[in-house]
Amino acid sequence: MAASLTVNRSQATTETRWVRYALTGLALAFITLFLIVPLIAVFAEALRQGWGLFLAAFTDPDALSAIRLTLITAAIAVPLNLVFGVAAAWTISRFQFRGRSVLTTLIDLPFAVSPVVAGLIYVLLFGAQGWFGPWLAEHDIKIIFAIPGIVLATVFVTFPFIARELIPLMEAQGSDEEQAALVLGASGWQTFWRVTLPNIKWGLLYGVILANARAMGEFGAVSVVSGHIRGMTNTIPLHVEILYNEYNFVGAFACASLLALLALVTLAVKSFIEWRSEKLAEEDRRHATEE
Amino acid sequence: MSIDIRNISKRFGNFVALDNINLDIASGELLALLGPSGCGKTTLLRIIAGLETADAGQILFHGEDTTDKHVSERQVGFVFQHYALFRHMTVFENVAFGLRVRPKETRPSETEIKRKVHELLELVQLDWLADRHPAQLSGGQRQRIALARALAVEPKVLLLDEPFGALDTKVRKELRRWLRRLHDEVHLTSIFVTHDQEEALEVADRVVVLNKGHIEQVGTPEEVYDTPASPFVYQFLGDVNLFHSRVHAGWAEVGKGRIAAPEAPDAPAVIYVRPHEIDLSRVASGDALHGEISHIRILGATIRLEVDVEGHDGVEVELSRERYQDGGWQVGETVFLTPRTVQVYSNPQ
Repeated sequence: MAASLTVNRSQATTETRWVRYALTGLALAFITLFLIVPLIAVFAEALRQGWGLFLAAFTDPDALSAIRLTLITAAIAVPLNLVFGVAAAWTISRFQFRGRSVLTTLIDLPFAVSPVVAGLIYVLLFGAQGWFGPWLAEHDIKIIFAIPGIVLATVFVTFPFIARELIPLMEAQGSDEEQAALVLGASGWQTFWRVTLPNIKWGLLYGVILANARAMGEFGAVSVVSGHIRGMTNTIPLHVEILYNEYNFVGAFACASLLALLALVTLAVKSFIEWRSEKLAEEDRRHATEE
Repeated sequence: MSIDIRNISKRFGNFVALDNINLDIASGELLALLGPSGCGKTTLLRIIAGLETADAGQILFHGEDTTDKHVSERQVGFVFQHYALFRHMTVFENVAFGLRVRPKETRPSETEIKRKVHELLELVQLDWLADRHPAQLSGGQRQRIALARALAVEPKVLLLDEPFGALDTKVRKELRRWLRRLHDEVHLTSIFVTHDQEEALEVADRVVVLNKGHIEQVGTPEEVYDTPASPFVYQFLGDVNLFHSRVHAGWAEVGKGRIAAPEAPDAPAVIYVRPHEIDLSRVASGDALHGEISHIRILGATIRLEVDVEGHDGVEVELSRERYQDGGWQVGETVFLTPRTVQVYSNPQ
């Protein structure tokens, strides 16, 4: 009886069969054309002339340098944004203050602004003709066309990922548990390490993965500040562009496949985290209903 | 430990949450802060705990000013309405938390912590749940764990913010009796906030009735129920009928009848009568109010009749089931009402 009722209800609220198939088919065709075909093409092009040349692309000193720089940039930008993201999310979700909504909006700025503009901002500030340019030149500090500029630009574009992930999570969880910890005699640090952090760890990891993917893949902002000096200031995306412009398709696609692989790993880890946190929540629910 | 509340005031923007509150709480007392939502009761509790700071005034613990003491140093136990258990920790770890975060010099050994936690879990009769996570417990179990966690740090004061507010009626009744027994065992100065008058009257040694940021009355449950200090207290502590009239020579006329108000001055007055303190009759006596039964509602053990009196429609009269059946009352009948006890407040605003 109950089963037939639910069947009736779901039929009552759903579309006819051919509408469902048409919509599903359209979505699948779209995904195939725009996502799956290009992804296959990247690996196909990279491997077109065999494994030998594919692997040779990575032993090239310029490619190695690009990979190293990309890793260094991510290794600096991601931890910086980790600290900033947690601090910002904490501030916004735990305190009521004037300018709170302005701060929330400002955090989104890097998403709203074109990455090229983000790069230009730093050139205007730290470039030879920029505001701080003469002072930096005097003290022999290089920011633009050097690693610090690349790191700065990357920090800028990956700024929102972790904070955006944490703010809604922390607002939903509320501060009751933290207050409880304080009343029980815990210090601010103890409360953070023992109560706050364990509660946000999955959301935090999720934000870190997304920020990392963007940090390694960023092109526009980094392109403006890097100066494209081979073996010095090229990251993987910039290296791909240079190889492509030189008609070195195998090399370009080989390096591109590295980034594509990174994307696939990111998605896999992301799905794993989602699956895991859903499973944990479900287990809790099941236990609760057994009572 | 005794608590003295001196001239406490608190505003949120333009809203006055607490207006110059003064209150002395004796050591070992179980006190209820009772009032409607928005009356400031939770704010007062949070100020005592140190989770909120007062704009003015002092809180003294055992005669000692706590104004500059951080929450974590006040040695209070706080039980939140929504339990606030640490969701990623087991029940055992929740209760052990307050002991584990102590500085090394005062932190008990692991075996001592184990002994203490199991002792507390036995006290709240949930020792068998030690390895569960909070999400796997029922609401009543969670609140008892929250209480065990608060008691683990051996607080000098126990503060409970609507501790049973999120539970269903049956569990609530069980738990408040249990809380009363627990208090009789451990004799800890305790303050609990509630908007449920029945809960306050049943559990507390003394009840503080709050309204719009100030104290309306402080007294034992009998005192506040039998001799309410203001119309607000009278109305808040139970169902009530209001008769607007004018007292003249010790009598207030209501429709064709009148109500005795021997001590009231000659002035406009509001007369309060509780629904279960009205006698019903088919025979007109000298002063009885005339009315007609308009509705009969059967609420389990009690029956509520609504009687339309001239000028006052829908006067509620509560009868026990037996008295209702003996009387055989019907809708549409003419009846005569005699209040047994009344409270007269002169010159209402």
